[in-house]
Amino acid sequence: MSDMWLPPGEDPREITEQPRGERAVVEGYLRHYRQTFELKLAGLDAEQLARRSVPPSTMSLLGLLRHLASVEMSWNRRVLQDRMELERPYREGGDRDGAFNGAVATEECVAEAWESWRREVAEAEVWLDGDDYDRVVRLDGDEIEVRDIVVHLVEEYARHCGHADLLRECIDGRTGQ
Amino acid sequence: MNELENLRRWLDDLRATVERKADGLTAEQLAARSTPPSSLSILGLVRHLAQMEHYWFVLTLSRADEPQLYVADGDWDAQFRDAVADQAVVDEAFETWRAVRVRADAVLDRLEPGDLEFVWDADDRTGSVRGALTQVLYEYARHAGHLDLLREAIDGQTGE
Repeated sequence: MSDMWLPPGEDPREITEQPRGERAVVEGYLRHYRQTFELKLAGLDAEQLARRSVPPSTMSLLGLLRHLASVEMSWNRRVLQDRMELERPYREGGDRDGAFNGAVATEECVAEAWESWRREVAEAEVWLDGDDYDRVVRLDGDEIEVRDIVVHLVEEYARHCGHADLLRECIDGRTGQ
Repeated sequence: MNELENLRRWLDDLRATVERKADGLTAEQLAARSTPPSSLSILGLVRHLAQMEHYWFVLTLSRADEPQLYVADGDWDAQFRDAVADQAVVDEAFETWRAVRVRADAVLDRLEPGDLEFVWDADDRTGSVRGALTQVLYEYARHAGHLDLLREAIDGQTGE
């Protein structure tokens, strides 16, 4: 397929050595989709980032960025690090959709979202490096292996990249993998 | 659960998600380009997912000697462009997709966990059994994201 976001040689997702083994492959995909998501937001102003460009959906790229910061935080710090007492961000007033509903077109909101997402990604990378895929964590009464959580995290990113594809195309027509 | 079982469970989950996102719609709704200017439709994506599973599992992993689905003469866009609001086209797409899944599962059923390590192209991210299976899984997930917004724009339905 030739429908790539960036020309060959300019794509930060290109890698010189292919990952092998369970952990290297799934974490390679995690890095790939985090980068893809970041690229889908590149070059847009606050108004474009906050625009609900695929009505009637209330999603925006900025809302997705805040949601993914919250997703990273919750899987890493609450579930993997077993600190369920920590509150998920962006849920002021008990609004479970606060990440989307509170995504407004201001420079402050955009800057805070990037800072929050980058901080949570960095923290998750450090933790995952030292974790064991065979370890079992408890969540809502279920026992889940770390490997399942990581595959799920990539699946969630990939699905949100699908949302970002259409949101971006409806903002400025730009498409690509 | 081992890695192979885990990946297959996620694949089955996503196939079921796609079934749900297409459920209860007319041919016209399935073929609607409901998020313009995108040319995607639910029907086009069902055809594309059949093409993708067939390519990776039937042609690549089990080396079946047959043409790719929906992309005759390298016309990649045909799978989306020819997804028109005709009940016969809809029926064919869903029959083909479900039949491909049965064949794909037969291929996957023959894999042992250790087969994930098998590499046939060391320079390609997808040039191993693990790489190909993972690629299909996440491509499904990304298209499920497209389906979320396409479906919501058709009748307001949302959900996992």
